[in-house]
Amino acid sequence: MDASASGKLWLRVFVVGIVLVLLAVPQVAGRFWQYLTLNILLLSLFSLSFNLLFGMTGLLSFGHAAFYATGAYATALFLRTGMVPLLPSVIMGTVAAALLAALIGFFCVRHTHVYFAMLTLAFGMMVYAIVWKWTPVTGGDDGLVGIPRGSLSIPGLFTIQMGPLAHYYYFLTILALLGMYALYRISRSPFGLILNGMRENAGRVEFAGISARRYLWWTFTIAGLFAGLAGSLMAPLESTVAPASAHWAKSAEPVMASLIGGPFVFAGPIVGSLIYIGLKEVIVRFTQYWLLIFGAVLLILVLGFRGGVVGFLLRRVARANVPLSPAEE
Amino acid sequence: MVGTLVYQGLVGLSEAMYLWLVAAGLSLIFGVLRVLNFAHGSLYMLGAYLAFYFIRALGGNFWVGLLLGPVVVASVGWALEFFFLRRVYQLDVAFQLLLTFAFVLIFDDLVKLVWGPLYQSVSTPPVLSGAVLFMGRPYPVYNLFILTVGSLVGLGLWLLLERTPWGTLVRAAASDREMASALGVRVPRLYTGVFIFGAWLAALGGALSVPVHTISPGMGESIIIEAFLVVVIGGLGSLKGAFLGAVLIGLLHAYGIMYLPMFELALAYIGMAIVLIIRPWGMFGVREA
Amino acid sequence: MSDTHGLNRRDFLKASVAGAAGALLGSELGFPEIVRAAKVKDPIKIGCQGIMSGPLGGYGEYMKKGATMAMEEINAKGGVLGSKIDINFRDEELKPDVALKNARFFVDDWGADFLIGIDSSGVALAVGQVMPELNKILIVTHAATEKFNEGLVYQKKIKQCFRVCVPVYQDGIASAHVAKNLPVKTWATVSPDYEYGYTSWKMFKHYLKELRPDVEFVGESWAKFGTTDFSSHITKVMAAKPEGIFTTEWGGEAVAFVKQAKLFKVFDQTKAWMNPMGGAMDVLQGLGKEYPDGAWVSGRYLFQYPDTARNKAFVEAFRKRWNDFPSYPSETTYTAVQAIKKAVEKAGTLDVPTLIATMEGMELDRPAGECVIRAEDHQAVYSVPWGQITHDPNYPMPVLKNLKVFAAKEYYRTPPFPPIS
Repeated sequence: MDASASGKLWLRVFVVGIVLVLLAVPQVAGRFWQYLTLNILLLSLFSLSFNLLFGMTGLLSFGHAAFYATGAYATALFLRTGMVPLLPSVIMGTVAAALLAALIGFFCVRHTHVYFAMLTLAFGMMVYAIVWKWTPVTGGDDGLVGIPRGSLSIPGLFTIQMGPLAHYYYFLTILALLGMYALYRISRSPFGLILNGMRENAGRVEFAGISARRYLWWTFTIAGLFAGLAGSLMAPLESTVAPASAHWAKSAEPVMASLIGGPFVFAGPIVGSLIYIGLKEVIVRFTQYWLLIFGAVLLILVLGFRGGVVGFLLRRVARANVPLSPAEE
Repeated sequence: MVGTLVYQGLVGLSEAMYLWLVAAGLSLIFGVLRVLNFAHGSLYMLGAYLAFYFIRALGGNFWVGLLLGPVVVASVGWALEFFFLRRVYQLDVAFQLLLTFAFVLIFDDLVKLVWGPLYQSVSTPPVLSGAVLFMGRPYPVYNLFILTVGSLVGLGLWLLLERTPWGTLVRAAASDREMASALGVRVPRLYTGVFIFGAWLAALGGALSVPVHTISPGMGESIIIEAFLVVVIGGLGSLKGAFLGAVLIGLLHAYGIMYLPMFELALAYIGMAIVLIIRPWGMFGVREA
Repeated sequence: MSDTHGLNRRDFLKASVAGAAGALLGSELGFPEIVRAAKVKDPIKIGCQGIMSGPLGGYGEYMKKGATMAMEEINAKGGVLGSKIDINFRDEELKPDVALKNARFFVDDWGADFLIGIDSSGVALAVGQVMPELNKILIVTHAATEKFNEGLVYQKKIKQCFRVCVPVYQDGIASAHVAKNLPVKTWATVSPDYEYGYTSWKMFKHYLKELRPDVEFVGESWAKFGTTDFSSHITKVMAAKPEGIFTTEWGGEAVAFVKQAKLFKVFDQTKAWMNPMGGAMDVLQGLGKEYPDGAWVSGRYLFQYPDTARNKAFVEAFRKRWNDFPSYPSETTYTAVQAIKKAVEKAGTLDVPTLIATMEGMELDRPAGECVIRAEDHQAVYSVPWGQITHDPNYPMPVLKNLKVFAAKEYYRTPPFPPIS
């Protein structure tokens, strides 16, 4: 009891420490490091949203980029009108992604395992095809180029221009952290506990009188919503959205980040994102044969840190009961 | 009109055969080992590169390359299963996907290190480079050749699985792993054998593509995704399904390009989505527990 | 774009402190006045990105070869105003987000003074429009979209963007000048299913119709990016019995397309085959003796043209250094580095507005010939010939014969760039 309480305290101190470090980045680090930090935050949020589904229910979405891209494109379209300020644009982008997730989720949640993964892949690639082909709205394969970051304002009180990266840094960081916190609360809520129960035994939960499918549908929609938030925050950062943001290769990123970090621990995808982006950034500085080195390191991570880095360390160091696969109890 | 339809369909069928060879191995491996092998497209690529290598090294004989390339790749398949995949069987299927994806990256750069980043090609053997007239239009002899090889492989697979002792073991292991093991099947050895055979099939597809496609690093990536679609449309583990899935995708391409060019980019995915919404476990798949 | 101001306060302080220290040191150590005043920064850093992995990885490789050679030549002769050149290469992966990260790394972390390279048009537009924020000069050496010079530079006034390779005018307009003299009345295309493919075909139709009203366009099929099997596309357009095939497939897809078209006897059934990207070294080498004689092809530079001492020296040096013939990204990227040298020497500073002013209208004596960087849209204006494939025993790959050269003013679109119907 005591050990667990002090463990919780240390965890809180640790999290507060990380948040403080994140807020201090623009004061101490150059523009590229700010940008890289934002990339890690975006991938963390994106991966956590993916892992809400995968880690809790065992359903691997291979089309999650569809929602990321929908958020990004919708936000970009609102911002490009020049009439909608930043925050409402981001909110509407996020909502658009959630609506699409509700639609696609309706068809996908009765599938399981590989069939679920492939059906989400199919819908993801349909979204990709639509943004590629619907040139008048999406800019086709060139994408939407030149998205203004706009400004954040409360009329009569203040207006902050988001042009300089350091300003946008705070906006993105705060919203991304809020998104991650919301996902954490969801995973610890009664709702999350039911999902966990379903992962372990779908039949048992269904017997308990809960429609598993409806729960999965909600989860799918929430996962899409937060992926959309990540995409919505990405568009003004890059000032470009391109079809690549909807491609399966983009969907593979949260899959990899979650698996590298460990999908059955909440912090796994965050650590995985840090490793994924950090590792690649280091490797491309030394060699153009980055695929080879990256692949080799990936191999070591899968074989050496079974069940993901965080899961592995927790099992080994803290002797925690972290499963290796969603079916395992 | 009917002539065009038939002709275009025949073109689509020959396209489907490369896909079938890759999907056959993929489906077989999934059926028995329960592993989704992302690196299966890379084995296709290695098949192409090694066939090219032997054709060049041995004086331009296409048939020698076709024979030797896939054999070498089969031994690469052995190493993959024996040293790596074996260690992750008890992990979630997603980790197996990640492991094999690591090999996609590694093989892409390895072929670049060995053969360079540029395109390689080999001439079509003279006996196969002609065309026959079909519906008044030229149809390449090479495509007829591919159709024949694809069908023969299908027939051979059926005979192998249904009419040989090894096939019986494979089917037993695919339907119930524990039972097979209890009946004295040496499961690990069987796994290795199936993986080697699947690798050989993919490499055969790659080697056959050498005279008509471009050999380049990364060439396995487009075919692996399509092969996944094929396997899932057919139902995981079902070879009959994989064959029909490949034919379906091939025809969708051929007719889609002709009549629905706006949707060509997504047609294969739309096809799969429709199949899965109607039949959640593919055309011939079995409901998973 | 709101971040257009050049130096921020911190950079400015750093720069002035360094400058003062340099001046102090220089005078104390008694360097000749001229050297101390001239040295702008050592080394001058150039960030280069192109596709280095996957099926199109050869393009980045050819860029790297050209850029490296220019760097070695310049550094061996004492550098730029006494400063060495240093080039860092990164893989653009054909993805805008990766390319943007590369650009930001080059400028904000590594300290690049110039950015060069870029293969994909979408990537060029994405990186181009953050150049005001990064405030360095970008010289594109492969991406060909007219939206880069006509849109970003001319309309949006993003003056940091330049391009030293021929734009899509080579593919869509010069091709029309070739086609008007061919005995072909009906054309069809199989081209990439993206902006480059559409634009080239649109320009080709528009300008050819102007030059020769009796031609007709009877079929088109758009092949998605990464197509390996063109059979269905071939049979679709051949159903319309065209007399000529126009295609803008490039790289490995051009190689596969030609091989499969041969199997379907397209070359026996048509009178002409045109591919503006078909003269690229990777396609020539990839097809080798399989390349049908007489196909009309071009590129953004052809090593056989022009027949000048400058070009011959370049090709010789390239062959000696790399044991290979230069493909066009090698020439254009080589030229970008040489252009940087010339601009910095003329401007005597790395100040971006001064450099932009220096480069506008600047003339370059490059291997591909004399060229001028047009002030209005920052496009290097030079012409590249079209020619027909032939097999010459003196070369290990097919080469071009019957070269047709058009003056740039005949086929380059000019400001104010009227829209094409």
